[in-house]
Amino acid sequence: MALRHPPESDALRGSIDLLVLKALSLAPMHGWGIGLRIQQISNGRLEVNQGSLYPALQRLEHRGDIESDWQSTENNRRARYYTITRQGRKALGEEVDKWKRFADTIALILES
Amino acid sequence: MSLLKGLTARARSLLASGASEARMEEEFRFHLMMETERLVAAGVEPVEARRRALVAFGGLDQHREAMRDGRGARLLADFLGDVRYALRAMRRSPGFALAVAITLGVGIGVNGIVFGFVDSLLFRPIPAHNANELVGVFTLDTKSGNAGLLAYRDYLDFRDQSGAFAGLAGAAGIPLNLVAGNSPGAPAAADMVWGEMVTENFFSVLGMRATIGRLFSASDAPQGANPFAVLSYESWKLRFHGDSSVVGHVVRLNGAEFTITGVAPPGFKGIRTFGFWPEMWVPVGMHDVVMPGSKNLLQGRGDGWIYVVGRMNAGWTMQRTERAAGLFASRLAREYPASNANFGVTLLPGAGGFDHPGFVKPRVLVLASAMGLFASIVTLLIICANLANMQLARAAARAHEIAIRLSLGCSRARLARQLLAEAMVLAVPGACLAAALVRLGPWLEQYMVPHLQFRVGIGATVDDRVFFFTGLVAILAVVLFGLAPALRASRPALAPSSASVIGARPRGARPRPRMRGLLVVTQLAMSVILLVGGTLFVRSMFVARAMDVGFDPSSRLLLSVNVGLQNYDEARGRRFYDDVLTRTRSLAGVIDATWMFPVPFDTYGRGMTLYADGARTNAKDGTVITDASYVGDAFVKTLGLRLQQGRDFTIGDSVGAPLAMVVSRSLATRLWPGKDPVGQRARLGGAAGPALIAVGVVGDATFISIGGRGSDRAYVPVRQQHRDWETLIVHTRGEPMRVLPQVRAIIAGVDPTLPTFGVMTLQQSVESGFSTSRMAASFAGFFAALALLIAAVGLYAVVAGSVAERTREIGVRLALGSTPGGVLRFIMGGGARLGAWGLGIGIVCAVAMARLMGGLLYGLSPSDPVTFVLAPLVLVLVVLAATYLPARRAVKLDPIAALRSE
Repeated sequence: MALRHPPESDALRGSIDLLVLKALSLAPMHGWGIGLRIQQISNGRLEVNQGSLYPALQRLEHRGDIESDWQSTENNRRARYYTITRQGRKALGEEVDKWKRFADTIALILES
Repeated sequence: MSLLKGLTARARSLLASGASEARMEEEFRFHLMMETERLVAAGVEPVEARRRALVAFGGLDQHREAMRDGRGARLLADFLGDVRYALRAMRRSPGFALAVAITLGVGIGVNGIVFGFVDSLLFRPIPAHNANELVGVFTLDTKSGNAGLLAYRDYLDFRDQSGAFAGLAGAAGIPLNLVAGNSPGAPAAADMVWGEMVTENFFSVLGMRATIGRLFSASDAPQGANPFAVLSYESWKLRFHGDSSVVGHVVRLNGAEFTITGVAPPGFKGIRTFGFWPEMWVPVGMHDVVMPGSKNLLQGRGDGWIYVVGRMNAGWTMQRTERAAGLFASRLAREYPASNANFGVTLLPGAGGFDHPGFVKPRVLVLASAMGLFASIVTLLIICANLANMQLARAAARAHEIAIRLSLGCSRARLARQLLAEAMVLAVPGACLAAALVRLGPWLEQYMVPHLQFRVGIGATVDDRVFFFTGLVAILAVVLFGLAPALRASRPALAPSSASVIGARPRGARPRPRMRGLLVVTQLAMSVILLVGGTLFVRSMFVARAMDVGFDPSSRLLLSVNVGLQNYDEARGRRFYDDVLTRTRSLAGVIDATWMFPVPFDTYGRGMTLYADGARTNAKDGTVITDASYVGDAFVKTLGLRLQQGRDFTIGDSVGAPLAMVVSRSLATRLWPGKDPVGQRARLGGAAGPALIAVGVVGDATFISIGGRGSDRAYVPVRQQHRDWETLIVHTRGEPMRVLPQVRAIIAGVDPTLPTFGVMTLQQSVESGFSTSRMAASFAGFFAALALLIAAVGLYAVVAGSVAERTREIGVRLALGSTPGGVLRFIMGGGARLGAWGLGIGIVCAVAMARLMGGLLYGLSPSDPVTFVLAPLVLVLVVLAATYLPARRAVKLDPIAALRSE
């Protein structure tokens, strides 16, 4: 699917791990829900290619940042729910700090 | 590259299977369904909604691949982690790692070496074109069933008239006196080499192409008109340094000039497996030149001289060929009843070599090979069983850790993979050791084949096939000793609660201790047998070294000539012997010199039949068969024999004088029991033969040779009974090899084209005579040490396993007040019992084996007390060590922790 704001998204797409962690930091969620939540948080400005979420989830799980198990949705469907681990929260905090510093730096350069 | 791609694809499909794949598909399905429903709820047509959901998701396959790649990377990372973990574990117990490396390495290596030998022996056809079409052709006595060699006339008829073969060629081995400069213009050096006289179609029937130059062709058939020689590849490399200008080079063979026409293909060592390796081939057309004065090999029928190889007609089976050849043989039997009675033929598949089936039984070869392979595989299996036991014991000791990991959600497969990785890491040093050992195969062969005048052997090589087999064996070993414990160790802790509720042990948690015990007892018994055998051999070798050989081997140079190959007649030969002796004796630093053949510890022997009235013999005609040596004057003094009565030979014991002999003490008492031997007569060949007068008696001397008959020996003057082949013995002051250049110069001065061979000191000759026993001793010693190590590992594993399994029981005992000493005795008692059984059974078998070995031991009783004390003592020490080490761990247990362990 074509991205609505390609330049912005390019920069953000690399940080899909960060977005997933952020989305999961609010509550455990299944893959589709995570995609939806990212879209909502970004006010629809960011629409990641939904399928590419899954390799990212797998990677994060291998790394130990998130865990997953089968649960029922409110419609009583079986879905794989992902939960952020303590290690994941720590990683998220560090990543967010890094991002903020990076964004500040860029902003500083651009505004000077 | 395509191989790599294939492997990648396979790994991919492997990753694409299983639970993670199912989970991925379910998640994808769920996602698409939710997205579709969301869009439908937003008012999109269901079909359109589904389409949009798919588009939003992106390429399904692309995502699937990305997931699989991720999993692959994970596996690799896990594997590397396992390897690191295993390396850490290995550093913690270096003794165990060393035991694994040595036993596994030797176990795999021995398999590789044995395979290399068997492969060269049975499955390595000669480097011929379509070697599977080749058959060895031998005569078969239809009455007795004995196989034999074809005669040349019969061969010609088979080749030209039978129609049973597409081609039929023959070869006969001959010694050749080669005089060749290394390069044109360089000084010529004479040497004795083994050669083969072959039919002119020999190389074309084999379908061989020359490395350089040309091989023989039909034009080489006529008698006497083709003085050409083909060099073996090895000889070309060694003698002519692979110089391609050798084609057209002229050499002298048995005194006649031959032109080298070409070089045979590499690796071709003649058609026979068990025969001297020919360096040169000459056409049968040169028979009269290379075999002057001898019986004509190209005449006659019936029993012959020729090793015949046939190429079967296209599409014919061996049965059909044999039938056709058999029919033709019976025709020959009818046509030539005098020579070819009961004439038949038998064929042998060429892949097994073209050796005389009467001497080299194909079935025996196959049997011996199978036994060798079987024994080495069984050894490896035992090693693997021991190591698996050891791993199990270690895994049991780590049951706690494993249980925790399982409860923390570590999957069973993951755990099994980790244990397997550990086994692999442990096996790597072993495999490296094995790879190094396999390379020793050809080197070992040198020591295993007898050292004869010309080279023999199976020519074992270490190539890709051997390495491939060894690698396969190594992988098998890792799986055997790693997989079983991996599977089992990951099981018992799986559901400890359920097991304890039902009150039953998980299946397989307790290995059958009886089986393990039996295995260990067998191993211990085997190592006792090998220890006793090895000790006997080693001790026998030392005794033999110290034994009196009856002559003085020090400071004596040996050098052999064969004047017959130079067409010397008797008079010229005698003149040559005299000239060389006179000149050698006049050299400074030479005490004395004489001729003798055979010398002590020579490869060959010579026999003589003597008749004396009243001799002690079992022969009906009253003759005595004895060993004989043909000697020059002053031989007793030169060789340092002990003259007990009478005199040494002098220059006067020559043509015209009465036939004289000197006898050994044993022969004297056999020929003339109870009489004074000096002056007695014995007749040569039988009661009607010429009389030999005994002029002296010498003490018995040790002459080990093929077919030697003990201490009976007659020495007769070569000046009275001429022989072509003699060995010069030079007794020197100081280092004998120092006079060699002068002695060579003397011989070259008398006849520059006469080759000398067999140059060594008498001391070396005696040493090499003992080389078989030395080899046997080192082999037996090596295998005894190996068996002991294997058995020790096995016993250690069993005791360690029982300690690990009984941790709780030991804890109870310690808690109830058992002393550490009591626990140590209790644990070691089990191991000691196994040790006692093994020792007992082993000693009984060893006594029986030592009796059988009796004939191979020089001057040592098979019930040698030192051996039978020493070997069991070593075993007892090893048993104690192998049980004490793991038992010590039991004593060190903390009772509380031990009680909590289950």
